[in-house]
Amino acid sequence: MVSRRSFLGHGCSLGVAATTLTSSMATLGFARQAAAQQSFSDYKALVCVCLNGGNDSYNMLVPVDSDQHTEYESIRTDLALEQSSLLTLPGASNDGRSYGLHPNMSETFDLYGDSDIAFIANVGTLIDYVDAAAVEAGARVPLGIGSHNDQIAQWQTARPDKRVPEGWGGRLADLMQGVNADNGISMNISLAGTNAFQSGKRTVEYAINRDGDGARRIWGYEGEWKKTIIDRLFEAEHDHPFRREYKRRLVGAIDTGERFVEAIRNGTPVDTTFSEGDFSAGLRQIARVIAAREQFGASRQTFFINVWGWDHHDEVLDNHVRMLPEISLGLAEFKSALIELGVFDQVSTFTISDFGRTLTTNGKGSDHGWGGHQMVMGGAVRGGQIYGDYPTLSASSPLDVGRGVYVPTTAVDQYFAELALWFGVSQTDLPLVLPNVRRFYSASDTSPPLGFLA
Amino acid sequence: MLTHANRKSIVNRRFRPARGAVAPGSTAIRRVVTWLSVWAVGALLIGCGGGGGGGSSAPASQNTAAPTITPLIQAQPTESELNAASRFASRASLGMNYDQIRALSIKGHDSWLEEQFALPVEYHDEMVADLIQRTEDGEFDEATQPDPDVLPFVFRRYVWWHRALSSDDVLRQRVAFALSEIFVVSEVGGLGDTERALPNFYDVLLARAFGNYRSLLRAVTLHPSMGFYLSHVNNSKADPDNNIYPDENFARENMQLFSIGLYKMNPNGSYQYDANGDPIPAYTDDDIREFAKVFTGLSWGGENARFGRKWANYVVPMEMFDEYHEPGVKKLLNGFEVPAGQTGMEDIEDAIDNIFNHANVGPFIGRQLIQRLVTSNPSPEYVGRVAEAFADNGLGVRGDMKAVIRSVLLDPEATADPGTYAQFGKLREPILRIVSIGRQFHIQSTSDYFFHGGYWFQNQLRQHPLSSPSVFNFFLPSHMPAGEIAEANLVAPEFQITTNPAVIGISNLAQHMIWADEIGGVQSPPFGEMSVNLHEYGVLATDVQGLIDRLDMVLTYGTLSEATRDAIGATLVTIADPVERAKWAIYLFLISPDFAVML
Repeated sequence: MVSRRSFLGHGCSLGVAATTLTSSMATLGFARQAAAQQSFSDYKALVCVCLNGGNDSYNMLVPVDSDQHTEYESIRTDLALEQSSLLTLPGASNDGRSYGLHPNMSETFDLYGDSDIAFIANVGTLIDYVDAAAVEAGARVPLGIGSHNDQIAQWQTARPDKRVPEGWGGRLADLMQGVNADNGISMNISLAGTNAFQSGKRTVEYAINRDGDGARRIWGYEGEWKKTIIDRLFEAEHDHPFRREYKRRLVGAIDTGERFVEAIRNGTPVDTTFSEGDFSAGLRQIARVIAAREQFGASRQTFFINVWGWDHHDEVLDNHVRMLPEISLGLAEFKSALIELGVFDQVSTFTISDFGRTLTTNGKGSDHGWGGHQMVMGGAVRGGQIYGDYPTLSASSPLDVGRGVYVPTTAVDQYFAELALWFGVSQTDLPLVLPNVRRFYSASDTSPPLGFLA
Repeated sequence: MLTHANRKSIVNRRFRPARGAVAPGSTAIRRVVTWLSVWAVGALLIGCGGGGGGGSSAPASQNTAAPTITPLIQAQPTESELNAASRFASRASLGMNYDQIRALSIKGHDSWLEEQFALPVEYHDEMVADLIQRTEDGEFDEATQPDPDVLPFVFRRYVWWHRALSSDDVLRQRVAFALSEIFVVSEVGGLGDTERALPNFYDVLLARAFGNYRSLLRAVTLHPSMGFYLSHVNNSKADPDNNIYPDENFARENMQLFSIGLYKMNPNGSYQYDANGDPIPAYTDDDIREFAKVFTGLSWGGENARFGRKWANYVVPMEMFDEYHEPGVKKLLNGFEVPAGQTGMEDIEDAIDNIFNHANVGPFIGRQLIQRLVTSNPSPEYVGRVAEAFADNGLGVRGDMKAVIRSVLLDPEATADPGTYAQFGKLREPILRIVSIGRQFHIQSTSDYFFHGGYWFQNQLRQHPLSSPSVFNFFLPSHMPAGEIAEANLVAPEFQITTNPAVIGISNLAQHMIWADEIGGVQSPPFGEMSVNLHEYGVLATDVQGLIDRLDMVLTYGTLSEATRDAIGATLVTIADPVERAKWAIYLFLISPDFAVML
């Protein structure tokens, strides 16, 4: 149980608690605010791992049965991984077939064997279910299919029909920020600066760095002299309401930064060793924030971390050998840290990426596609399984809109709805977070959308 | 001038006890500098004419028709005249230093406006195209950062900063930026993946900023970047058998955001209400569908033009392909009907006329220009006067942007003494605060360019030109921050991006720019490095009150609060070295609420 007092009790150097974005839940523009009023007796976190650029995930999770692997090889040609190199996942999938992992993802293979990680197959942005024929006939499809910016935005906003700035993590926080202590630190914490996922109408992410103690602070404020002159400047009273508001925000931000640093320093130390890469370092910082959740007065948090460089038009095979292990290793390290902290059941980590890529080759790599495979890890995850439908690979697949670009068979809305429900959003509030969810998941459905979370 | 080594030693000596508090040498700064070089943000140049911010000057005044008679001995402007000029400059320019403010005061605001109207346009896209050509010619080494494969995608940002920091046509650049926040296209959403789509669009705004609004709306409508952004490029006539209908995206946003707004307005911008007290919509969904029909048949222009071509061309207007244009009558606003049997372009011209002549345009666009340039909450009377100028420039011409701009900037409400109207004022936009720091403090470059990638600024500020997260700009004109501002029923759009990280970010950016001589300027190989020059203020700093007075004139035009003045003064008297004293004075001014909010 989180004690909010423990946080609020810390002295604020400037005496103003200033959250400008979270203090007025009463003004939330939602019709329903049930969730905003409720509180949780437990802690939960969602960690969104963004593989930016469009991971060629049909080479991350690959059919190993001979007939489908042969089909895979005939379509992918020079991009195909050899059958014998794949790490064959234990057990048959729900379609009765066997699948294998990229050979450089041994940690993920182990996580799968321990039932701590699951895959969601061929998931992507959809306005409604379609197949290639429907697309050909002009059915509505997401804006900017194949466009990085549109697609990575839609994975975050869950609004494939519209370009909006708010993401579903931001909508979560608009709904739920009130369950955390009102200390000016957003429920949504970003290791990647501004992002759509965590932007709401009333909420923005609190951006931190992966090194040091994370918070964005006035340079030098920790020094006595600088603190004195800054504090003196902001003791001044102002006649104009805009100047007063600006002062409140800046003073509040300074104070928040200082409190963030104090909180994270007072959190339980994280002893798990992380490797040196940026991804691991970012996950380590997330683990530190989670370790300080009581100091933050947080019972719900989201985290966003970006891994750049997945747009492999070129050298996809070599790049995967280099990059997939960083993800695999980072996830395993993160699991160790969360187990150390005793919260592995309470943190669900999931990947997103712009799109899958063309199954066919351009001679060097692959181009922009649509559906792709994602991973979700956590103690609450019913791992060791593949959810959704892995398409039967075929040159004449009814899902193929050309060049081996497969229409998604599972919508991001289903994927995210399962995460949101687990996080504590009620079935009735779900459309506030995922506006299009009812196209894919009925309000009267008593079973979860995909079933990957307990 | 002090040498670099001398400065360091002074810093270390004076502030040793608080060294951690001083920017130089902090790890944060080193990180930033590393980041800058990685992203090649920076910039540039010295040398070229006009470097150092010497802005508009004599040659231009000779080109204007305005009857300026320059006496041999100038009258010394009074303090209140200088403050008025400084205030005017904060709205009509991208930032002026003391000498420029003084020159403006002597010239007179009206004359300065006419001079600016007559200056040649400093376009963006031609410079981008030239840089791309130089890249293709192999001028830039593989080892540069970003490498030559990436550089062309960064040039449009380089050039925006170059113009923002060094152009002479400051009014035009200022107004074009304001227009870019009304007629929004953005690199977010795909246009950032092309080299020239955005600078070419920006040129449309620059070219027509002082023209006629109808011409502006037409050019925006036909620009391929807008066609891509609001998806009316390759928008075909209906095919009911296949359940395909014209895309409504542009049709809707064009009315909602670019021209008339959601609700019917009175000439002073106030809404018209029905018997139930609800505002009356300016258009219906049916109207949107009718306009959507009008905007069918457009595809990329240029060589090998054909409808539906995948290959985009962002540097020529979209072309009409009549066989893909929806035939038939279209019922537009105010009962106007586009007759059947016209060509697609005839339909579009009629539709633009229909919108252009709608009574909402003057107050709707006029109010937003006031908000971008002058104040967040203009009175209905002020909006009404600007709308009048839109309706008739005095010579019977509707939509004359020069008349609108004159009206916005010279209105009695805008020029009344600060404090005359309690609700008057606006928060400066963060990106314009950064620009003004450069301009007001003599930014110099070691090359011929004032280039900058701006990624770091964007990361810190949540704002960068042509990078809005959606067509709704970085902030909404109607944004009311919760708390006392909303309670007073005031809007304050810029507060929408004034987040915790952003207010810290801009304060640290100010620090970085002020201490650039010690921690390094903004660098961007192969284009050199930029930094401000504070010599002028180092000289003034022997007198604390004199220094504060000057900064109050240049930055806050006499609106510095007494309490802030006292706080800054109390700090400055503890600093003996005049250069350091000047730096801290500027830093404290720049992060103060007094500078952030222009009254």
